[in-house]
Amino acid sequence: MTRKRKDYLTAFLFVLPSLIGIAIFYVVPYIICIIKSLYIGQEFVGLINYIQLFSNNTFILALKNTVIFTVVAIPLLMIISFLIALFLNSFKKILSFFRSAFLIPVVVPVASLICVWQVVFDDYGAINGLLNTLGIDTVEFFSSEFSMGMIIFIYVWKYCGFCVILFTAGLANVPKSLYEGAKLDGANSFQLVTKVTIPMITPTTFFVFLIEIIYSFKIFREVFALFGNYPNEHIYFLQNFINNNYYNLNYPRLSSASIILSVFIIIILLVFFIFERKHSFSE
Amino acid sequence: MKKIIKCIFLLLVTAIFLFPVVYMIACSFMSSSQISKMLDFANGEYKDLNMIPEMFTLEQFYQVLFRRPEYLLKFWNSVIITLPTVIGQVVVSSFAAFAFAKLKFPFRDKLFFIYIVLLILPLQVTLVPNYIILDNMNLLNNFLAIILPGTFSTFGICLLRQSIKYIPDSSIEAARIDGASYFRIFTRIIIPQIKGGLITLTLLCFIDNWNVVEQPLIYFEENSMYPLSITMADISNSDYGIIFACGVMFMIPALVIYFYGHKDINLSIYDIEK
Repeated sequence: MTRKRKDYLTAFLFVLPSLIGIAIFYVVPYIICIIKSLYIGQEFVGLINYIQLFSNNTFILALKNTVIFTVVAIPLLMIISFLIALFLNSFKKILSFFRSAFLIPVVVPVASLICVWQVVFDDYGAINGLLNTLGIDTVEFFSSEFSMGMIIFIYVWKYCGFCVILFTAGLANVPKSLYEGAKLDGANSFQLVTKVTIPMITPTTFFVFLIEIIYSFKIFREVFALFGNYPNEHIYFLQNFINNNYYNLNYPRLSSASIILSVFIIIILLVFFIFERKHSFSE
Repeated sequence: MKKIIKCIFLLLVTAIFLFPVVYMIACSFMSSSQISKMLDFANGEYKDLNMIPEMFTLEQFYQVLFRRPEYLLKFWNSVIITLPTVIGQVVVSSFAAFAFAKLKFPFRDKLFFIYIVLLILPLQVTLVPNYIILDNMNLLNNFLAIILPGTFSTFGICLLRQSIKYIPDSSIEAARIDGASYFRIFTRIIIPQIKGGLITLTLLCFIDNWNVVEQPLIYFEENSMYPLSITMADISNSDYGIIFACGVMFMIPALVIYFYGHKDINLSIYDIEK
């Protein structure tokens, strides 16, 4: 055996445990899932399951809500955390107390805070108490279209600090000389941000984006904690749809819904990849 | 002047992040009558965010720890699910991450791309395929149904690969010339240098599994196997008195890990370089 081959073999042994696990618990099941989505019972039906899914009103509702949440919450979180990171960056030194405080929302388990959110957002909660004294009508956070707003707020609150820390780390890596050079060329502070900072931290932005996507799908935990299995129609997400279909074990429908959800994610990712490539090449 | 405004703004932002947590801890020292009054949303009074207990008491904690064993059992369910998953993931991931970051083998980059795709796919997508395979393996209604897939999550590999990449190749080559095996290099050179990465992974992986909601709902028929993260969502009215103590108890392990390791958590290395 040549040395090169031996090296390949050792490398392979290191990956092997993970490879076996991935194959058994992710890849093989995923292939089974694709196959199941093309059958009803024993009969091959092609794309009929998918077509049926799109004529299912609950599914359309869930898809619509998921799209709204993703399109609103992810950019919103990105912008807010970027601005706070810029703000923090203007300090010479940040005490580690603040760093910890920013990470606490991610660390604290979802279930711990349910009651706090209820006291804050209920029809007779703190926010409505405040609105009432200002003479504004009650906002029903738990049963109207404001539910979506509440869930987006909780999502931003929870992950904002984490993203801020990631952004500040990225900002710290931008060489100071670039700013000085741009200033000499007469750039104002807005141009400094758009022409120097944003292009320079594209890799960080990309990582933050990945994290945000991964966590945006975990918002189901908050929805479940606050609303149980059947939330109101404004925040009925694809995750709720899939979860609820487990109880009647409709495999074909479940499988096709999963495949659609994955296609949805892959499209978002591709769009971002293209956008990112364009952006960094123009600089 | 400008500096003072900036400091005030910083404190304000920090307060928004900390408030719900501090509020919950304050509430855990309130008496059950005060809690029930606060959580009774039908009495037509607006709630104020009163942080000061009318009467400081440990009644809630006493109830949870000594009188209501069902909540402690749920807490242990959470531990049984989380602990093996975290240990498993950290071990499996660090081996694989070393190979992906520093060793050469055929199809390495293509394989890693698949890992990234698997990382991004949401849980709900993999739940269905997983359910099918677990059903065939007869693992439903078993804690292993959550532990095994969790162990092989690709998250840790992507995270640790990034830390390992920062270790210079020269130190590995030098050890190779001295005749050290890759396993020895892994244990003696790599592991000691990625402490920060390992702690970050432990924390994030712990939080993720500690909050597990989706899998038990689907894989377990018995409510008695549910972890505390699910049970807390439907604590009934009669138990309102202990709800905040349960919340505090549930968040302590996560906070302990965080405060134990927060000095080593260095997130600056997670830029995805080209």
